[in-house]
Amino acid sequence: MSKKTIGRRTTLGLLGAGLVAAPFIRPSYGQAAWPEQTSVPEILKGSGEVRIATFGGLMQEVQQKAYFEPFEKITGIKVRAFPGSDATKVKAMVETGNVEWDMAQLSRGSIMNLQKRGDYFEKIDYDIVDPGVEAQYRFEYGLEMLVWAQVLAYRTDAFKGAVPSGWADFWDTRKFPGDRAMFGTNSGGWPEMEFALMAAGVPADKLYPIDIDKALASYSKIKKDVFKWWDTGAVPIQLLTDREVTMTTVWNGRMAALQAAGVPAAVSWNQGLLKRDAWGIPKGAKNKVNAMKFVAYSTMAIPQARVCLGIPYGSVNAKSNEYIPTERLAVLPSAPGIKKQLVNYNYDWWIDNREAVIPKFNKWLLS
Amino acid sequence: MSEVVQPASLALAVSRPKTAPFDWRRAVPLLLAAPLLVYMLVFYALPVAAMLLRSVNDPSWTLANYAILFEDVVFQKTFWITINTSVTVTLGCLILGYPVAMGLVRAKSMAPFILVIILLPFWTSVLVRSYAWMVLLGRHGLVNEALIALGMIERPIRILNTPLATQIAMIHILLPYMILPIANALRQIDPSLIRAASGLGATPFMTFRQVILPLSMSGMAAGTLLTFVLALGFYITPAMVGGPRDITLSMLIAQQVDQLNWAYAATLSAVLLATALAILAMARKLPGVGNAFKTSMR
Repeated sequence: MSKKTIGRRTTLGLLGAGLVAAPFIRPSYGQAAWPEQTSVPEILKGSGEVRIATFGGLMQEVQQKAYFEPFEKITGIKVRAFPGSDATKVKAMVETGNVEWDMAQLSRGSIMNLQKRGDYFEKIDYDIVDPGVEAQYRFEYGLEMLVWAQVLAYRTDAFKGAVPSGWADFWDTRKFPGDRAMFGTNSGGWPEMEFALMAAGVPADKLYPIDIDKALASYSKIKKDVFKWWDTGAVPIQLLTDREVTMTTVWNGRMAALQAAGVPAAVSWNQGLLKRDAWGIPKGAKNKVNAMKFVAYSTMAIPQARVCLGIPYGSVNAKSNEYIPTERLAVLPSAPGIKKQLVNYNYDWWIDNREAVIPKFNKWLLS
Repeated sequence: MSEVVQPASLALAVSRPKTAPFDWRRAVPLLLAAPLLVYMLVFYALPVAAMLLRSVNDPSWTLANYAILFEDVVFQKTFWITINTSVTVTLGCLILGYPVAMGLVRAKSMAPFILVIILLPFWTSVLVRSYAWMVLLGRHGLVNEALIALGMIERPIRILNTPLATQIAMIHILLPYMILPIANALRQIDPSLIRAASGLGATPFMTFRQVILPLSMSGMAAGTLLTFVLALGFYITPAMVGGPRDITLSMLIAQQVDQLNWAYAATLSAVLLATALAILAMARKLPGVGNAFKTSMR
């Protein structure tokens, strides 16, 4: 996942991916025939252009082939993609009246976090959105368009065959020795309080509302072993590759490339967090109508399925599965066997509480 | 002092009655600098002012953000880490840079070659250099492998992602800023003074301590100031190679921007700017330092 926030770090992350991971990041498209969308409702057709901010990197490469190019062909609307999507940039654009993006790939959390401070996003026109898009992915100011997971990953050569599963094992440095890395707050990250709670034995369905103090107390037990609080998806991949850590948290899409390169590493889906990316349309976007059309098109079954074939992330459209081969379906976070091991990330709780969590986390980190 | 009129200004006052036409030649330097001044005003001073203004007027006029500083433990610790890192790095640069500057000045035909070696890292991006340090300092990096091969350690030691890694990488990046002003000052020293010192029986060490060192003070001051002020604002390097607790002030600012607390981010930026300015102002009061920038510009 190239979930990104601040520009500098985006550059950093992109360069990181380029320098550290470039030799082995290869999109898996081309291996199987991708389904083609041959027609769209007349209402999605148009003219002009739509300017889309993405997280860049491999993700944008996949998006280009999965739905940017087909959308241009089938609707007559030109797509211009910009890497470096960032909610803070949306804030600056809307405040200065210089809105350079018609839509941006963000998360429900960052969209709603900004929206609660003012009017920064357009409401989604759900009249034209495909009925196959499940209700849980719809919200007033955005539409979720990508399902991914934040999970435990480990070096398979580090523990003499023992297989860690879940956060109690991650916390157990006697049974699974070696340094750890976890997602920090540096790049506007959202600390993995859920993992800390599950390590302390809190059941997955009792995580929210998060008991911040309890989570920090649990974090304290692993603090000395966490040698990096990572801030961009390339970092944990690099740490695993270079054997800097034996276990880390990762965005699942990044792991496929690592494994394809032959690094002895694996993910443990158990107790991972199921997260989503969302499209948001900045208030006052020049090509707002085209952006709505793209939001509707890109969440249809076939465009969603094409993304799943390019990068191991899941679809928000229930009908996508018909277009994805079974063996591919089995490695996506949306696969039933995997999804049931994951915990649904509660964006609503985080939207309300992030401001309280991060200072407390920082204080704990520096104490 | 006020009654002692300098002859030059007296002459000027006499030769320029108030009714004299404006002397355009006097305006030439200003006119030459005007395009840059306007550019800096529009693209630097105004945006910085607008950003700093956010610290007191977002959403309404208040000093509340500055009041928070006194209670914000995270800010205080981060500020201390930033100062501490900057001092360590500046000292490191001074200790490592001074001998190099001396070598650079003494090397005759090799001087251009040495200068290129000093400047080479200058032309490489900070990001690339930070990645290079990750390769070198890693658990299975060059340094650890070498130490193991030499039998000095048995198992890899942790260098990457520690404050030490931040300091090593920052010193590497900032060394040219220390070396060049010192070399400049050393070059100004009249060689006959050194000959005179040894002629009067001074050992090389005494010559260094009593002649060279005092005379290069202005270069050291310039290098120290430059290095320290630049170190205050470091961001990428500590973020990439630093330890889990190496949070610098600029990292905290980025965090606040990300969390949409732009007013507080502006407040922290004002603190960083004020710290840099205060250090410059204090340094000017030190004897011999006031000329530092003049000397280094010669």
